[in-house]
Amino acid sequence: MSKDDQKKIKLPRTAKGKKPQYFNDPTVDKLLSMVLTLMGELSVTRDRLDTVERLVEKNGLFKIDDIEHYEIPDDVNQIRSERRSAYIARVLKSVQDELDALEQKGDGKNTELAD
Amino acid sequence: MIPLSDHDMLAQRNHDEESRQSFVNDFRIHLASNVFPGNFPTYYNRVLPNFIKEKGREPETRHEVRKVMTHDPYYSFWSAMQRNSQEMIWDSVIDSVERQLPELIEKSRKAGDKGSLTLDPDLETPKYHVAADIHLQPGAYHSDQIEDDVAAGAMYDWGTYIYSMGGLGTGNNALGQITNGFFKNEYPDKKPLRILDMGCTIGGSITYWAQQHPDTECYAIDVGAPVLRYGHARAEALGAAVHFSQQNAEHTDFEDESFDIVMSHILLHETSRTAIQNVFDESYRLLKPGGIMMHMDLPQAHGQQPLEGFLFEWEIYNNNEHFFAQLRDMDMAELCRKAGFKDENIHPKSAGSFWMDDQTPYADDGFEFPITIGIK
Repeated sequence: MSKDDQKKIKLPRTAKGKKPQYFNDPTVDKLLSMVLTLMGELSVTRDRLDTVERLVEKNGLFKIDDIEHYEIPDDVNQIRSERRSAYIARVLKSVQDELDALEQKGDGKNTELAD
Repeated sequence: MIPLSDHDMLAQRNHDEESRQSFVNDFRIHLASNVFPGNFPTYYNRVLPNFIKEKGREPETRHEVRKVMTHDPYYSFWSAMQRNSQEMIWDSVIDSVERQLPELIEKSRKAGDKGSLTLDPDLETPKYHVAADIHLQPGAYHSDQIEDDVAAGAMYDWGTYIYSMGGLGTGNNALGQITNGFFKNEYPDKKPLRILDMGCTIGGSITYWAQQHPDTECYAIDVGAPVLRYGHARAEALGAAVHFSQQNAEHTDFEDESFDIVMSHILLHETSRTAIQNVFDESYRLLKPGGIMMHMDLPQAHGQQPLEGFLFEWEIYNNNEHFFAQLRDMDMAELCRKAGFKDENIHPKSAGSFWMDDQTPYADDGFEFPITIGIK
């Protein structure tokens, strides 16, 4: 371990207090957390790729450091935000499906075909 | 996400940290706009009919609604995602703070002296504050992880902004804008000379007041040292003179009748049944005759329908806001009376985002808080 590593500060990552269990099987709670984290990380990766693409187009050639200093113009910010919203809705489609079914009238059977 | 206005103490985010925070922001907006509203048809089309079938009547209280809604699969899934989104807020800010902590501490040590910072290492952190980490911020607002720590403040600055989905304004000072706007409108002739903000955390509200009232002496207290160190350096970076000190709002060392305004911004629901009365008693003691107490906090239960009341209380059970469960039913006027305020000088009012000077993108959706006024 180098001197720098020894000096590194590690902040606590888990909040104190009882965490509620939301599902009958606690494994489902953990899986949901994993899925949501994956959602986030894929979104981060997509943003990073977006930056790369825009820089490639802009410069033809770029340095890795360019990515860290890329400043997001307002219009790009807006485009990214809209894309993220669509992405979130896609991953959470199972939730929307349940709601849609709940709001649909009838028993869900296609009466035209069920003769 | 529109970033916070930069200042010298703000943790700088690299590319992926910015993106991660923007994701959490957009995810929470999606939950609030698209998933949370589904709790209403879930209740009316599924949970309520089942309840009526079983009991022959509708639920009479929010507590009865809680018993049935928490077992509903749609509600549970929303609730679990909402909880996760709260944890993801802190996860998205902690890396940048951890990485820059030595520099942030160094900056806070060299903060200016327009205002001041007085810490009390012997101050006992109240039980209601240490029992659980409020708002799930790991380490809470009072824990020092290292000498002269400012991490809790640096995390709070970005974290509360993301929590509010921009509603706190890019200066992270919406609540201060609201009390200031409320005060100017209610008491246009009053010129406060000396004011106190209780439970200030990083001083977002009082710093705004100090910027708007440069001739007013502004004081702010909190029990947490790391948020005060950060708050002081933040105020200095913004050119505002605020005197921060580490004190419990229940019992301070300020002299009797020494303030024109004693106020708080959503502090009360983080205290306890005993502490809240102490805070009102202390507010009364500190006010000059004619001085004004203004405690702004979250809406109470009266007047809310059972379903609305239940949904409003999600944060109590899922975001470590335990005392809010009791505050919901407390008589604020009675707290004022016991503290010494006369009936005719007790005014339950409300203040909202319409008072803000700076209309942020989400301010037009509007939010409103009750504000308990007592005039000495």
